[in-house]
Amino acid sequence: MKIGTIGLAECIRQVVERSNWKARHKKLPYGRGVGIACNSYLCGAGLPIYWNKMPHAGVQLLVDRSGQVTVFCGATEIGQGSDDVLVAIVAEVLGIEPFDVRCVTGDTGITPVDLGSYSSRVTVMMGNAAIQAAERIRDQIAEAASAQIGVRPDLLVFLQGRVFFSEDPSRSLTFREAIGFAEEKFGTLWSVGSYVPLRAPGRYKGAGVGPSPAYSYTACVVEVEVDPATGWITVPKIWIAHDIGQAINPVLVRGQVEGSVYMGLSEALMEEQSFRRLPANMSNALVHKIPSLLEYKSPTTLDMPDIDTVLVEDPDQNCPFGAKEVGQGPLLPVMPALANAIFDAIGVRIDEVPITPDKILRALERKAKGQTPRVGPEHFPDVPYPEPIFVPTPGEGGDGNAAKEGPVRVPGRKREVAQS
Amino acid sequence: MMRLPWFSYRSPATIAEAASILAGEGPSVMIVAGGTDLFPNMKRKQQVPKTLVSLRKVQGLKRIANGTGLTLGGALTLSDVVAAEPVRSGYRALWQAAAQVATPHLRNMGTPGGNLCLDTRCTYYNQNFEWRQAIDFCMKKDGKICWVATKSRLCLAVSSTDTASALIALGAKVRLVSSRGEREVALADLYRNDGMDYLTLKSDEILTDVMLPAASGWQSSYWKLRRRGSFYFPVLGVAAAVRLGADGVVEDARIVLGACAPRPIVTKAGELLIGKHLTDEVIAEIGAKAASQAKPTDNTDLDLYWRKDVVANFVGYALREVRGDDMRTERMRIARQSLQAVG
Ligand SMILES: Cc1cc2nc3c(=O)[nH]c(=O)nc-3n(C[C@H](O)[C@H](O)[C@H](O)COP(=O)(O)OP(=O)(O)OC[C@H]3O[C@@H](n4cnc5c(N)ncnc54)[C@H](O)[C@@H]3O)c2cc1C
Ligand code: SF4
Repeated sequence: MKIGTIGLAECIRQVVERSNWKARHKKLPYGRGVGIACNSYLCGAGLPIYWNKMPHAGVQLLVDRSGQVTVFCGATEIGQGSDDVLVAIVAEVLGIEPFDVRCVTGDTGITPVDLGSYSSRVTVMMGNAAIQAAERIRDQIAEAASAQIGVRPDLLVFLQGRVFFSEDPSRSLTFREAIGFAEEKFGTLWSVGSYVPLRAPGRYKGAGVGPSPAYSYTACVVEVEVDPATGWITVPKIWIAHDIGQAINPVLVRGQVEGSVYMGLSEALMEEQSFRRLPANMSNALVHKIPSLLEYKSPTTLDMPDIDTVLVEDPDQNCPFGAKEVGQGPLLPVMPALANAIFDAIGVRIDEVPITPDKILRALERKAKGQTPRVGPEHFPDVPYPEPIFVPTPGEGGDGNAAKEGPVRVPGRKREVAQS
Repeated sequence: MMRLPWFSYRSPATIAEAASILAGEGPSVMIVAGGTDLFPNMKRKQQVPKTLVSLRKVQGLKRIANGTGLTLGGALTLSDVVAAEPVRSGYRALWQAAAQVATPHLRNMGTPGGNLCLDTRCTYYNQNFEWRQAIDFCMKKDGKICWVATKSRLCLAVSSTDTASALIALGAKVRLVSSRGEREVALADLYRNDGMDYLTLKSDEILTDVMLPAASGWQSSYWKLRRRGSFYFPVLGVAAAVRLGADGVVEDARIVLGACAPRPIVTKAGELLIGKHLTDEVIAEIGAKAASQAKPTDNTDLDLYWRKDVVANFVGYALREVRGDDMRTERMRIARQSLQAVG
């Protein structure tokens, strides 16, 4: 298992340049600041959530003399655009228009299994299965077409609804004619494809968490204005660059990136789970303070800043046409970049979300009193951590197994006190 | 899904007819205007009227009349109010308050009458029936105690109307009509300091008109605090109206705080302004004075102590706008919109 491509450096270069970072970081007047953060995210987990060795994604194709292709897959379109990806991949392999591909997804009664829309796995896993299915049917069609055109099947090109000789495009069939010949030769045409991720080399407890066929990367710069009198926070602009590997549909990818910025900002500034205890002499119940969506706030269009979005394309050989995930990764750097921007603006650290004006004022008060200018949890959660497992890297001579003895024994169950 | 309970619906055509239905039905009847407050409350079984009297078709409740002052019909829509030129030019605080109520859709339905009579709000109360049942309800509806202050005999649910504080600052009166006759009260006297019984309005009275005195010489401003730029009630509203003499001395002033208590608070800070110039020092002093009267409780959005902390700042924004400062940048930051596009 190997990480394919890492477009992070280019992502950082893009946001640094476009936000004019070097001229602004630590140089804006008090109350204004910029912050940067980056992240990496997996494109599907290497281990399935159901522990078996069967494929994580399956795709079935049906092709008939009408020239139409129908693709079946269990992947669930939840608004993220997975149907579009599926159709585009099949159309690309077969050299036809997306409009000639019908798509049947998410119906467990008639489609092959796909494990689901989670873990940013669908494009990579469903996409690889779709490529396999489409290439298998393309090979059958090419075999039938080669007899008609009179050249070897591997010299045929599938493009723009035609099948032709790569060196003489005039020797060609339409895609529909080619299917007709294939049906004559093979009977009803169908194919299937499936995808199983490579096995991760880790052989220790917990090794299954994290390995993925590929990783996406994002860098983000947030600009912020903080009013030191009230703690009020304004975010005028966000720059973000995402390593998508290859954009299959750039409009949808941008939509996903900007949606992620929205969700990240919402998490950073507004969304909150707060509870309170009813009086002990009464019910002593712990109740949710904001149990409805009217009170659980997320930004409106009025609260959204301008977003400058860049797609960095560094195709990854483990991904369909090189395309990585864009479902979850781009939201991750928004929260830390905002927290960093606040530090740049007024020199205080807010180490928990949501970052609200009252926390800003509290941190400024601490700063004025000469205390550590931060607000956030005082210590790591007091949970019984298991003994750490040490896995040497390949450079250290590791083979994926845990070392018998770690370099240093850190006693477990110890509460580590953060500086305060 | 929460459904509306059954109710009978009456749609009279005149004020007299509406008044006589209200008188005949007793306390189980309620008026519905835009329904943007009442219907959600009915779905949550906070208010359970058996009969609703709709003001939609009632004649004479939708006028805008310009005399020595301005009269606004109780059943205009808030969008009508925002679009009315005399409101925009003469009564800026009202315009700014109405323009920031809820969302455009809700302003197209909501009315000044409904906004002024808006039910008080509390995070223990504005929940569905099952949630309230699970905590054994509260005093405001179906229960015995107040979860916010368990020893309190008054309910501390918060007055959450935007326009009331602006209208009180502007010196508005309201006309209340019933089959027993009609009366005019200063708007401030429409409210009581108890979240359960928050209006002095009787169950058979209709708020037909809001009457504003002549605007000449007055400058006013309204600032609203909420976590985001749209789609939520105020968690603090500050309205200031000031009459300045030719020499820049304050001749008269009213500063009203909304969403700090079960009723709008008419602060003493307004009187203290009289005879003074609106200098930065005076504004800071008046802000601190107003803040000392705010009594926010832990039953709305945002941190309770912080909400009190920023009252002085919000009073400052309002007074600086009254003074003529260019507040567009501040407005953009606080309201997340310039407001200019609303009207
Ligand atoms: C999501 C959401 C956000 C909101 N945000 C805000 C906000 O930011 N600011 C704000 O102020 N409000 C807000 N509201 C509340 C409401 O939309 C407005 O207050 C609106 O103006 C209420 O008017 P209405 O005509 O719809 O009232 P209705 O729901 O019809 O009535 C409300 C109450 O007033 C009584 N009433 C109505 N008209 C009269 C009358 N003429 N005479 C006597 N009694 C009358 C009714 O009996 C009822 O008790 C919000 C509501 C929602 C659902
Ligand atoms: S303030 Fe108390 S009585 Fe009033 S609604 Fe809230 S919990 Fe109920």
